Amino acid sequence: MNNEAFAQLVDANYSSLYRFALSLARNASDAGDLVQQTFFIWATKGHGLRELSKAKSWLFTTLYREFLRGRRRDSRSTFLEDLPPGEKDPVAEDVDRVAKIDSASVMVALQSVDETFRAPLTLFYLEDMSYQEIAEALEVPIGTVMSRLSRGKAQLRLAVEGAATSGSKVLPFPGNTKGNRAL
Amino acid sequence: MRTEEAKFILAAYRPGGGDAGNPAFSDALRMATEDPGLGAWFAQSRSHDAAVSAKLAEIQPPAGLRDAILAGARAGQSSRSRSPAWGWAAGLAVAAGLVVAVISFRSREHPQTATAALASFAIDDMLNAKHGSKGEPAGTLVSELQTEGSKMPTADQIDFEKLRDTGCRTLNFAGHDLLEVCFARDGAEYHFYVTRRDGPLGDAVASGPSYVALAGGAAAVWSDARFDYAVASTAGVAALRRLL
Repeated sequence: MNNEAFAQLVDANYSSLYRFALSLARNASDAGDLVQQTFFIWATKGHGLRELSKAKSWLFTTLYREFLRGRRRDSRSTFLEDLPPGEKDPVAEDVDRVAKIDSASVMVALQSVDETFRAPLTLFYLEDMSYQEIAEALEVPIGTVMSRLSRGKAQLRLAVEGAATSGSKVLPFPGNTKGNRAL
Repeated sequence: MRTEEAKFILAAYRPGGGDAGNPAFSDALRMATEDPGLGAWFAQSRSHDAAVSAKLAEIQPPAGLRDAILAGARAGQSSRSRSPAWGWAAGLAVAAGLVVAVISFRSREHPQTATAALASFAIDDMLNAKHGSKGEPAGTLVSELQTEGSKMPTADQIDFEKLRDTGCRTLNFAGHDLLEVCFARDGAEYHFYVTRRDGPLGDAVASGPSYVALAGGAAAVWSDARFDYAVASTAGVAALRRLL
């Protein structure tokens, strides 16, 4: 891939990759690092893709792998929380709340969702990926994606509700308990 | 299908309607049209999803990220058309219009790539960058480095965080910190670089030293369990060998 083609690849994907990284890493600096590293891997180790149409999926998968690798490395274990079931159904007020807070606050609310659910949720909302595409990008079973979307949305609605009622300050989702696996 | 099952399935239905033709949703969609309660739930859910998507799409990456990506990846772009054995270093050299002499290679899958990338970066920085001052801990390290006969530091001698605060400079190497300490020995100037092993090169740098000579400078690259290292100088490979 020549420089121009590489720049085009960057232009086409770096914004959406950044948003995905920001939702995962929860700070702009780490998000920028993740995006840079993802493209660096593409450039240095070779992507091996004959079909550039799959480049986007490759980039998201690679970024997610790098995020998981970095998290393991930093010994910041992901606690797969024993979360309350996704019983928070959407109501009309939920839509109003989203409309009333700014985009940064919505991002903060998304960042407060447990990481297990956050990654598929971000791809769903930001990239308009189907559940099959999300499953491929995150390398998890389709059923798991559907479960995580359902529960993640419930968490997000609670987080947005919290943001709207507390002046956009979103606290981490409560009830984190190490060792319990949630799908 | 129960209502809760339908909700579970419809939660994965994209707000833009991209799943309209997916048969996996057809039963749940039909149920939503027949059950007013479920239909209302689905309408609210889609509205909420659309509102969230629209808000998140407003987030913009920071200024300069694009340039940083292109700069960080630049060294890697010339590698792929070459053979695995020496393609990286050769590609870098061609791009730079320089003569490359790779003195030592390893047989692992990508060490040449990583080694050449770090060596090239170090040599380029040594030759072209303005080098900074030293803080106290780095000063101690510099004293040790400048002692005749002493060897390059190992992981247990390096406090990366302190060195970041007090070393000559902190460079951005593909989005990761690469710390530099400058020192002199036997009348020659050397530039020692260290980055965490979990950085952009992964575990691709071999533990034993590899030596890369380009026109204008040479570098030795090696690693241990925690860090990847490079030391660059204009004094040549023989001088570098004496440091390791």
